[in-house]
Amino acid sequence: MNYIGEHLWAAELGRGLTAFSFAFALLSAVAYYQKGAQWKTLGRLAFRLHATALFGLIGTLFFIMANHYFEFDYVWKHTSLDLAPRYLFSAFWEGQEGSFLLWMFWNAILGWILTYSAKSFEGPVVGVFAAVQAFLVSMILGVYIGDLHIGYSPFILVRELSENVGLPWTQFADYLTRFPNFADGSGLNPLLQNYWMTIHPPTLFLGFASTLVPFSYAIAALLRKDYKSWINSALIWSFFSVGILGVGILMGGAWAYEALSFGGFWAWDPVENTSLVPWLTMVAGAHLLLIQRNKGGVMPSALFLLILTFLLILYSTFLTRSGVLGDSSVHAFVDLGLSGQLLIYLLFFTIGALGLLLVRYKGLPKKEKEDRMDSREFWMFIGALTLLISGLQITLSTSYPVFNKLFGPEGVLFTLYDRNKVLNEPIAHYNAIQVPFTIIITLLMGAGQFLAYRKTTTASFFKRQILSLVATTVITFAGSAALQMWNPMYIFLFWTSCYAIIANAEFWLRWAKGQSAVAGSSVAHIGFGLIIAGSLISNANKTIISQNDTFIHEDFPSNENLLIEQGDTVPMGNYFVSWSEQSEEGHFVNYHLDFFEEKDGKLQPAFDLKPRIQINERMGNVAEPSTKHFALKDIYTHVTYADLRTAEELGDEEWKNQFEIEFNLNESHYLYGKYQVTLDTLLVDAPDKDGELEYAVLGAGITVKTMDDSTYKVMPVYVVEGNEVKHMDTEIKELGLKFRFDRINYETNRPVIVASEHKEEEVPFILVKAVVFPWINLLWIGSILMALGTVIAVVQRLKRA
Amino acid sequence: MKNSQVAIIIAIAVLIGYTLVKLGNSATYSDFTTAATAEGETTTVIAYLDLDAEMNFVPKSVQFSFGAIDKKGRKQRIIYYEPKPQDFERSEEITLTGYDADTAFIATEILMKCPSKYNEQNEVDSEKIYK
Repeated sequence: MNYIGEHLWAAELGRGLTAFSFAFALLSAVAYYQKGAQWKTLGRLAFRLHATALFGLIGTLFFIMANHYFEFDYVWKHTSLDLAPRYLFSAFWEGQEGSFLLWMFWNAILGWILTYSAKSFEGPVVGVFAAVQAFLVSMILGVYIGDLHIGYSPFILVRELSENVGLPWTQFADYLTRFPNFADGSGLNPLLQNYWMTIHPPTLFLGFASTLVPFSYAIAALLRKDYKSWINSALIWSFFSVGILGVGILMGGAWAYEALSFGGFWAWDPVENTSLVPWLTMVAGAHLLLIQRNKGGVMPSALFLLILTFLLILYSTFLTRSGVLGDSSVHAFVDLGLSGQLLIYLLFFTIGALGLLLVRYKGLPKKEKEDRMDSREFWMFIGALTLLISGLQITLSTSYPVFNKLFGPEGVLFTLYDRNKVLNEPIAHYNAIQVPFTIIITLLMGAGQFLAYRKTTTASFFKRQILSLVATTVITFAGSAALQMWNPMYIFLFWTSCYAIIANAEFWLRWAKGQSAVAGSSVAHIGFGLIIAGSLISNANKTIISQNDTFIHEDFPSNENLLIEQGDTVPMGNYFVSWSEQSEEGHFVNYHLDFFEEKDGKLQPAFDLKPRIQINERMGNVAEPSTKHFALKDIYTHVTYADLRTAEELGDEEWKNQFEIEFNLNESHYLYGKYQVTLDTLLVDAPDKDGELEYAVLGAGITVKTMDDSTYKVMPVYVVEGNEVKHMDTEIKELGLKFRFDRINYETNRPVIVASEHKEEEVPFILVKAVVFPWINLLWIGSILMALGTVIAVVQRLKRA
Repeated sequence: MKNSQVAIIIAIAVLIGYTLVKLGNSATYSDFTTAATAEGETTTVIAYLDLDAEMNFVPKSVQFSFGAIDKKGRKQRIIYYEPKPQDFERSEEITLTGYDADTAFIATEILMKCPSKYNEQNEVDSEKIYK
C-alpha cells in the first residue's frame, strides 16, 4: 500500500545512514587493528566516513523533528507543534535514542580529532573508538532477526511499531489525515523545557565521551607494550575529562537546585552517583599519571584506574537505561528492551580490557624502590586509593537493585536466601561514610603541594606552611562559631577543606611566586576545597524557616510547612511573608510571595519570590522552587501544597463530604474522625387502612457525641406515601452537621443515614516550605574555579607538549 | 613490609569496616505484615494505592492519610505528615519508607511512580476520525 503524506525518504535516509555508520565503524575497528600503513589509512578513512554518516543521520533526525513529521514515533513522542524552537535540542535528547546519539556525536568528534593528534598511537586509539562506536550505533540500529531486535531506531514510524502492526487503522492509506492523533505530537515533557536541559546533557555526555580517550590510550599502551610515549597525551586528556565531567555533574546539581524541588543540589540519587563515581576514578587516574610521569612506579594502578573509569561509564549507562533502578530513583527511565544488549556491551569491554591488563601485567614496569613515607608520590598514591575506595563504596550502595535482581529465590542466580535490600535513609548513609573519605582527600590536597617528590624534610614541610595552618585554624573556629556548627566531624571537615583552599593559595602565591605552571592545579584545588566547604556549610547548617507552630508535634516534619492564607501576613524566620495573588503563565501557576522585614516597628518590603507549580499532564504536577540569593545565604522556597481545582470543579454546593452510614440499633460509628454517632431508637409509624399501607413514617433517633463530650440528639425522618418518598433532614447548627434518613437497605433491613458537613467559607491557602542555605555561594564559586583550574592545567600542558 | 602493601591493607580494612557499617543501616524491602511485627522500626514497602479507601488531607495539621495495598494484598492505612504530593491519585506504585505504629503505617518518605512517565504511546483511536 502507498501511504499518503508520509516522508519515507527521511526514514530511508536515516536508516541508511545508521547502517552505513555502523558498517564503517566496524570496518574502521578491524582495519585499524591490522598492521601496515595501508590498513591504517583505510581505518582512518572508514572512521571519518562513519562520523560523516553519523552527523548526517543526526541532521536528518533534527530535520524531521523541526518539521514535525508526526508519522515518526520519535518525533511524535518528543515534539509538538507548540514546542518553542529553543527547546528542539532538549527534545532531541529527551529520549534514549537521542541521548545515545548525543554521546556518539561527541565520540565521533573526539575520535576525529585523534585521527590528527594521536600520531603513532592513532591505530589502536582510534581503533578502540571505532569499536565503541560500533556498539553504540548498534543501539539505534533497529534490526529485527526473528524475535530478537538489535537496537531501537529513532526513524521508526508509528505504524511500524510492533504493537501497531496489523491494527485496523494502519489499513488506511490516508491515516495521517484521517486520524486526529497524528495532527500533533505529545510534545516535550514540560519538566524538561528548561534551559538547563539544553546545556547540561551535552556537557555531561562530552564528559562521558572524554573518558574514552584515556581508556583508548591505556588499551593502546597495553597492546603495543609501549608504556612510555602514551603518558603525556593521556595526561592532557585525563585532565580535560576531569574538567568537563566535573562541570557536567555540577550543572546537574545546579539544575536540581534552581529548577527542581529536590530540596538541594545533591540527593545521592543513583543517577547522580553513577556519574560521580567515574569522575572520582578519573581524578585518581589522572593524578597517578602525574606520579608516573614525574617519578614512575605506578603504571599498573594508573592503567587500571583509567580503564576502570570508562567501564564505570558503561556500568552507569547500563544502570540508568535498563530500568533496574525503577524503585530507587526519582529519575524515570523507560526500558526500551535493550538491557541485554547493554549487558553484552558492558561485559565485552570489561572482560576485554581487564583481561588484556591481566595478560600484560607481568611485563609492566614496576617500582624499583619503595616510596618513602615523606615523599609526594606516596601520599598522592594514598589519595588516589582513597578516591577509588570512596567510588567503590558509592557503587556498591547504588548497586543494591542489581544485587536484588541477581540473587534470591527469583534472581538470575538462584539463592534461597532472599537479599532484597534497600537503603532506608540513603542521604544519611552516604554522608556518614563519605565525610571521612572527604576529610582524607582535602587534607592530602592541602599537604600535597608542600611535599616534594622523592623526599621532604619534616622541618621545611611545616615551616613553609605555618601561615596556612594558623590561618586555617583561626578561620575554622571563627566560622564554626559564627554558624554555631559544633559537630566535631563537621568541624574537622571544615578545617581540612579550609586547609585545602588556603594551603594551595599560599603555595601558589608565596612559594611558587604565582607561576603559571602550578596555577592550574592550585586554582582547581582551591575550587574543590570551596565546593566541599560550601556543601558542608550549606547542608549542615540549613534551617527550615517555614515553621508551622500551630499544630506541631516535634517528631513530625509537618511543622516544616507553613500554611499561608491568601491576603494574610505570617511570620517566617526573621521575615513576614504574605501571599497576595497567583498568576498563570504557560504551563505554570505562579504564587506571588512578598517578604517583609521589621524595621523600627514597621514592616518594610524586603523582596518577593514566585515559587510555582508546573501543570504537567504527563508526569504529574511539579513544584518549582524560587530562590532569593544573598551574598551569604540563599532563601529557597517552594509551594508544597496548593489546591489547583478551579471554582467550577469545587462546585457551589452548601454541603460537602457526604458519608453513608448503615446502622444496627445501638450501634456506634465514627464520623469524620471527630464524632461518635449512635443509633438509639428507630420509630416506625405505619398505620394500615383496609389492609393497605396508607403511609409510613420512620424516625431514627441519633446521638452525636463530640470530642469534648457534649452530646446532641437528632431525629431525621423518612416518609413513604404512596409512590412518593420524603425526607425531613435534621441539622446540628453548632457542629455544621446534617443528617438524612436516606432509605432502608432492603437486603440487610437496616436504615441508611447520610451525613454531610456544612461547607465553611474557605479562604484559599497554600503550604510553603522555605529553607535557608548559608554560604552556598562558596559552592558555586568553587565550581567555577575548579573548571577554570582544569582549563588552565590542560592549556599549560598543551603548550609544553 | 612495603609501604604500598601497607596502604592496600589499610584500604581493605576500611572497606571491610564499611561493609559492617552498611549491614547495620540497610534494610530489606518489606510488607505491611512484617512491618507490623516490628513496630517502630523503619522499613521500606512497595505498595499500590488503594483506590477504595478514604483519602484525606488536612492542610492545617499537614496530615495526609490514604490506603495502600502491598504486594501480598494486605491493606493498610498510611499516614504521611507532609503535604499531599501533587497528583497523588495518579500514582500506580508507591515506595513507602516508614514504620508501623499500631493504628497506621507512618510514612516518612514516599516515592511515586506514575504510569505515563516517558513511555507514552500514540494509541490511535480508530473511532475518532475527521469527518
